[in-house]
Amino acid sequence: MKTKKVWIPIFLAPAVILFLLIYAVPLVMVFVTSLCEYRLSSDHMQFIGLQNYITLFHDANFRQALANTVIWILIHCTVHVGLGVFIALILYKKPRGWKFVRTAYMVPSIISNAAMATIFVNIFNPQFGVVNSILTKLGLENLTHNWLMETSTAFPSVTMIWTLFAGYTTTLVLAEALTVNESVIEAARVDGASNFQIDVLIMLPLLRKIIGTTMVMAATYMLQMFDLIYITTNGGPGRATTNLPLLLYGTFMSENNYGYANTIGVMIIVLGTIAMVIINKTLKVGQEDY
Amino acid sequence: MNRTWGQLTNRGRLLMILKYIFLALCVIVALFPIVWVVMSSFKTNAEILTDGISLPTSFKFTGYEQAIAISPILKYFVNSVIISSVATVANVLFLAMAAYVFARCQFRGKNILFWLLSLSMVVPMTALLNPVYLVINNLGLTDTKTGLILVYTALNLPMSLLILRSTFLSIPRSLEEAAYVDGAGFVRTFFQIMLPCAKGGLASAAVLAFLNNWNEFTFALILTSGQDARTLPLSLSYFTSQFSFNYTAMFAAITIAVIPSIVIFALFQEQVVSSLTAGAVKE
Amino acid sequence: MKKRITALCLVSAMAVTMLAGCGGDTAKQGSSEAEGTGEEIVINYPTFQCGVNTAAPVVDQLISEFNEQYAGKYRIEKEEVPGDQNYIDKIKVQLGTGDLPPVVYGGGYNLLDLALAKDVVVDLTDAVNSDPEWKELYTDAAMTTNSRDGKIYASSSEGNLVGYFYNKELFAKAGLSGPATTWDEFWDQCDKLKAAGITPLALDTADSAWVTSLWMGALVAAEGDDAVAFLKQMTPDDYNNPAMIKAAGEVQKMLQEYTTKDAIGGKYEHAANNFLSEQAAMIANGPWMMSDFSDETKAAPGFADKVGVAIYPGSFVYDAPIQGYFVTKQDDPALEEAAIEMVKFFTSEHAQQVALEVQGMVPASSKVEITEKAKEAYPLLAEFLDLAATAKVRTDNLQATMYPNLLDVVSQELPRLASGEITPEQYCQILTENAQKN
Repeated sequence: MKTKKVWIPIFLAPAVILFLLIYAVPLVMVFVTSLCEYRLSSDHMQFIGLQNYITLFHDANFRQALANTVIWILIHCTVHVGLGVFIALILYKKPRGWKFVRTAYMVPSIISNAAMATIFVNIFNPQFGVVNSILTKLGLENLTHNWLMETSTAFPSVTMIWTLFAGYTTTLVLAEALTVNESVIEAARVDGASNFQIDVLIMLPLLRKIIGTTMVMAATYMLQMFDLIYITTNGGPGRATTNLPLLLYGTFMSENNYGYANTIGVMIIVLGTIAMVIINKTLKVGQEDY
Repeated sequence: MNRTWGQLTNRGRLLMILKYIFLALCVIVALFPIVWVVMSSFKTNAEILTDGISLPTSFKFTGYEQAIAISPILKYFVNSVIISSVATVANVLFLAMAAYVFARCQFRGKNILFWLLSLSMVVPMTALLNPVYLVINNLGLTDTKTGLILVYTALNLPMSLLILRSTFLSIPRSLEEAAYVDGAGFVRTFFQIMLPCAKGGLASAAVLAFLNNWNEFTFALILTSGQDARTLPLSLSYFTSQFSFNYTAMFAAITIAVIPSIVIFALFQEQVVSSLTAGAVKE
Repeated sequence: MKKRITALCLVSAMAVTMLAGCGGDTAKQGSSEAEGTGEEIVINYPTFQCGVNTAAPVVDQLISEFNEQYAGKYRIEKEEVPGDQNYIDKIKVQLGTGDLPPVVYGGGYNLLDLALAKDVVVDLTDAVNSDPEWKELYTDAAMTTNSRDGKIYASSSEGNLVGYFYNKELFAKAGLSGPATTWDEFWDQCDKLKAAGITPLALDTADSAWVTSLWMGALVAAEGDDAVAFLKQMTPDDYNNPAMIKAAGEVQKMLQEYTTKDAIGGKYEHAANNFLSEQAAMIANGPWMMSDFSDETKAAPGFADKVGVAIYPGSFVYDAPIQGYFVTKQDDPALEEAAIEMVKFFTSEHAQQVALEVQGMVPASSKVEITEKAKEAYPLLAEFLDLAATAKVRTDNLQATMYPNLLDVVSQELPRLASGEITPEQYCQILTENAQKN
């Protein structure tokens, strides 16, 4: 296939050009400046070796942000993706009203994060929020909290904002599930397989790759998660809900310490790479079916 | 595929009821935010801030009138439609080409290149700000729709690449081999055989890319200055400043931004699914 | 093969048109405009004072007046950047890439020092000194705020005169006749209000806790000359002093006992709403809030008549001009000149008067006359200005002097201070640690 070879670079060109224009320079900059003392307030960068990294590992704020980020990635890859897949597995069998459910479940993902954050600030409001109102009505007044502002409840409350809305995952997995030939399923059914067996033994393996893709997306989504936290808790109380992007943003935008901020950036890239490698290896995402 | 009520065992019936209760819960949870936004757009500022879950006392459209008066939201809306759509089409086309090559061809450095491209998924936003500003400025594209389209096409690069590669990987090779045997070339096979087969993945990638573009804020802020290239998310900033706020108008603006995309999404998905079920390809 | 090439051409043509198609017109428009207008110099002026910002009408009026007065010579093109934080973020990116607009409004965000560190600010000393009328508008305080190392770099138009507002009706219900003059009396009033079932204070902690910080600063100011000197210090990096610790303890008490439930985590909007809807009896804030009192989407009709204004106990009032406009270095000297002309116009006596009459903004200069028209529009303002004149202690507020990165820290730590998770000492220590990161 000689002609095929010719087309490879041409087909890759647009994507590579986009990458070079937008991502290449920042990527290099992140790594280079992480080795420098570099602030907005001074023009020159000074090479300081691994000093930023040493400071970083002694920085209690960083350790907390790292722990929060890792926990959030794990929750997102399991609970969030699991929920999305579960719903997709119900919907592909086309129960009554499935089209409506599919569209309705995607709606929260259409609303911008800034708006979602504002909504949840109101839901968790200690005085008139939905959560406390319901608890009070049920006579559980002693369970009411200032959900986003108490150290013990802030983390789980913030997690709720994004865990339940798995519209992206459902959409992707459902689109893939609908391409599965019905004869495969019918054949299994004739062999006496239950619905549950069909889902677990036939569908899940067939959907393995797309589930892996949604997991990678979930992991990287958490590595970029910013505005939902910034608007609801601003990383507080204390550092209870600070993740790496929030810490990076603060270091970059309000401390104006670009070098140190990009050291955090490198950690985000490393963490992302680790997550992608693990998910790809476990689910064999990059391989062909046939 | 669905068995009727009468055919089910008691356990089956119970499961079915549980299933519908679960789906109903999902719908309620999912629709709560948008219902809340629409409701709030009819309440006064005091009502929103005093009792967030009360029903509006009257259905006045002042919020909408103010939203349109305070911010150039309608102009931004048109800009958003143009920028988001063009960037989505460009993104999905370019990345489908790349993803196809990654899924089907062997060449030196393939894994490294793929890894590099995926890496763009985790480059922190803040690291992108200054370099992207400089690139767009040097290309003379500051404050143009083209500039934003270029950036948005790139921003969705990693996500579309992942989705589309996964899609192409799950299409049986036998299909294109048949095409090659029939004498079709690489390009024709791609456009005439593979793309139609990948409709599901293309649609998903397009939907996700479009929604990301539609809601993107930071670059829209940094790269535009006039009103010709500004997009909808920026309009929301018109309603809160440090010491003054107009929540009614803000929620009206959010409603204006969200409702059309929900409708478009619903219609679009209807189209896609009907074409999907018509040509199931997985064996 | 031919077919393939055609296909490829089609694809690339599509891509090019898609990328280029929409932007083309705008780019062309821009260049033809610059050529067509000949000698008229266009000043692009990005501003966050648009949308619901109360200064928006003032800026609009000043721009149109300026454009009229300098027609054919200079023209300001307003560029709306809604949202204060968005403006700062954008200016910082432009600062990083060396592409600043000719005129920047430093506002309360201390952009001047960042810009000075990059050496992109035009020295206004000669321009101000050569124009007695302009020079006269600089008060001593304004001179300090806008100068560095004896050189003038910026010009202020707004003063920052801040006391607090109280609800006369709620005060009367608790048997109180008027605002407290000492802090002991103040705490006593809080207890009486609370006993009468009224929440004494509207407070906030989110978005850098503006309202709560005002009380904290006032409490610090009550602790004697050293404390006042501390408040006047620009970007202090040590908050471990007795006055700060004592004030933090008192703010802790305010958050625990004298405020609404939603103050913890609440934004300015929530605090404002608690006062406007008569849920709380007092709120610390500046005169720009006065127009909200008669806004019927925010407060009940007749609310404005119930509001009284006061200076803080211990005869204290916040009084410092807000850092003003500065001009950035440009390739074209004519543009720099135009920008200086614009800054002069925007901070002139006339401009300050417009802001006073339209927005109720306190002028930066004491030379500016408080007109009858302003008094009529904002009767409370006239009352407040008279009160403020009697104040014996005056400084800038805590937020204006702290390093910008502390603003987030305040929002993160106040909830913990309120819950008792950290002590006032620890609170001050955390502020200190973060200040020293700069």
